Amino acid sequence: MEFPNGLKYTKDHEWIDTAAAPVTIGVTAYAVDQLGDIVHVELPKVGDSFEAGAAFGTIESTKTVSDLYMPVAGKVVEINKAAVANPQSLQDDPYKLGWLVKVEVKSKIDASTLLDAKAYQHFVAEA
Amino acid sequence: MADTDLKTPLYQVHKAHGAKMVPFGGWLMPVSYSSVLQEHQTVRTACGLFDVSHMGELQVKGPAATTFLQRVSVNDVTRLGDGEGQYTAILHPDGGMIDDLIIYRIQADHYFVCVNASNTDKDYQWLLQQASAMAGVKVTNESTQWCQLAVQGPKSTLAVEALLSPVTKAQLSGLNYMQIMPVKLFGVDGLIARTGYTGEHGYELYVPNAIAERTWHGLMETHSQTGIQPIGLGARDTLRLEACYLLYGNDMNDGVSPLEAGISWAVRLEKGDFVGREALVAQKAAGLNRSQFALRMNEDGIPRHGMEVFKDGDLVGVINSGSVLPTLGGAGGLALLNPKKVAVGDVVEVDVRGKRKLARLVPKPLYKAKVKS
Repeated sequence: MEFPNGLKYTKDHEWIDTAAAPVTIGVTAYAVDQLGDIVHVELPKVGDSFEAGAAFGTIESTKTVSDLYMPVAGKVVEINKAAVANPQSLQDDPYKLGWLVKVEVKSKIDASTLLDAKAYQHFVAEA
Repeated sequence: MADTDLKTPLYQVHKAHGAKMVPFGGWLMPVSYSSVLQEHQTVRTACGLFDVSHMGELQVKGPAATTFLQRVSVNDVTRLGDGEGQYTAILHPDGGMIDDLIIYRIQADHYFVCVNASNTDKDYQWLLQQASAMAGVKVTNESTQWCQLAVQGPKSTLAVEALLSPVTKAQLSGLNYMQIMPVKLFGVDGLIARTGYTGEHGYELYVPNAIAERTWHGLMETHSQTGIQPIGLGARDTLRLEACYLLYGNDMNDGVSPLEAGISWAVRLEKGDFVGREALVAQKAAGLNRSQFALRMNEDGIPRHGMEVFKDGDLVGVINSGSVLPTLGGAGGLALLNPKKVAVGDVVEVDVRGKRKLARLVPKPLYKAKVKS
C-alpha cells in the first residue's frame, strides 16, 4: 500500500497536500482498501466552511457509509466532480484522480495534528 | 472480532484466497475476496462458490415429524413429496417471525431443515420445546457437523457435475428447483439441493465437515470451464437484495409477521391450525399497517437499514435493506411501509442522513430470478 512522502495524514485516514495553496484533501489507500468497492461520494458545496475535525462529506462502499473529516479548518474552493461521477477513481488512484476537495486554509495549520507518511504507515500497521 | 466467533472448516482456504473476514451471525465469514461488485457480476454471468456453513441444519425425525412441522410452520408440509423442499417460517404465537427457513422432506418420517445462522439456537430451543409436548418426533441440531457450499450462477451445473459419478450426474439433470437429493461425494454421504439466495440457477451442497475442503477444491478446479470464483457475503447480500429475498434481522424479526414481511405466498392459512395462525387471521382481517415494498432511488444516495421514508411529508415507514443494485444500476432496497398510505408506483422520499432523496416504489422483485431456467 502506498503512502506518498510529500503528503500529510490524519488518524481518520484523510491525506492533505499542503505544498500549494489551496490545500488538496482526499482519503488514503488504506481507507479505500478497508471500505472495498466505493459506490458513492458526497461532497460539500463550494463556499462551505468547516472547522478542523468536522465531517464534510461521506464515502460509501457497497456495505458501509463513512464520514469524511476535515484535517484543517477552512473554506472549500473546489470539489472533484469527476470523483463524484466516478467513485471508482478513488480506488484506482486515491492520491491523484481521487482527490476530493481543495480548501483555503483559515489559519496556520496545526502540524501537530498531522502525521507524515512514515508515522501514518506505522499507525495503520498497528490498527 | 469476538473470540467466540466460530470458524468454518474452510477458514484457512478463505485466508489463502485473500478474503476479508468479518463476524456474522456468530461466525467469522468471508465478506469479500476481491471486489463485491465483481463477485456479484461473476454470479450473474458465470459461477460463484459461497461458503455458507454458518447456516444451521436441523433434523426432524419420527412418525409424527410431518404433524409436528405442520403445527409449527406456516407453509403446508403435506404438499411435499420425498426429496422436495419449501420456503416457510416459524412464528411466535403472536405472529412474529422466529425465523424463515427451508424444510426438505427426505422421507415421510425425516425432514432436513436449513435455518439462519444467527437464529440456529433460538430455532432449535423453540422446536425442542414445541416437540416436548408431542410424542413421536425428535429434533436434533447438526449445524456444526455440516458444511454448506452454495454454487450459484448460469454455469453452476457444470461445476457441480465435476464432483459426480455418471449416474448421479444424470440424477442431477432431473433435479428441479427446490428439490434435494442424497449424494455420495468422495465416498461420503451428503445432500444437493437446487436452491439458493442469489436469484440465479444454482445449488446448495450439504457436506460433512471432513470433505468440505475437497469439495471446495473440486468445484474450484472447474474454473477454466465455468469461470467459478469464491464469493463473499457482501455480494451475497447485493444478489439476494436484487432478487428481493428477505434477510432475517434486516427485513423482518421477531416483531414482524410473514404477511407484513411480504411472504404471504408461503403462508397457508387454509391448511388448519398452526402456531401464530390466529394472530395472522386477525391481522389480515384488520388490514396490514406495514407491508414490504421494493424501491429504487430516483436521485443519488443509497438507502440503508433504518432510514425513514416519507410520503407528502408524512412518515410512512423505514428502509429495511438498501444498497447499490449492481445488475440493475442505481440504488434501491426493501422497506416496511404503511400500505394504507403508499402504493406501488408512488414516489416517496428517503431521509439519507438528513437529506430527502426521491425514490419510487416498484413491483417486486427488483431482479427476476432465473432459478427455474
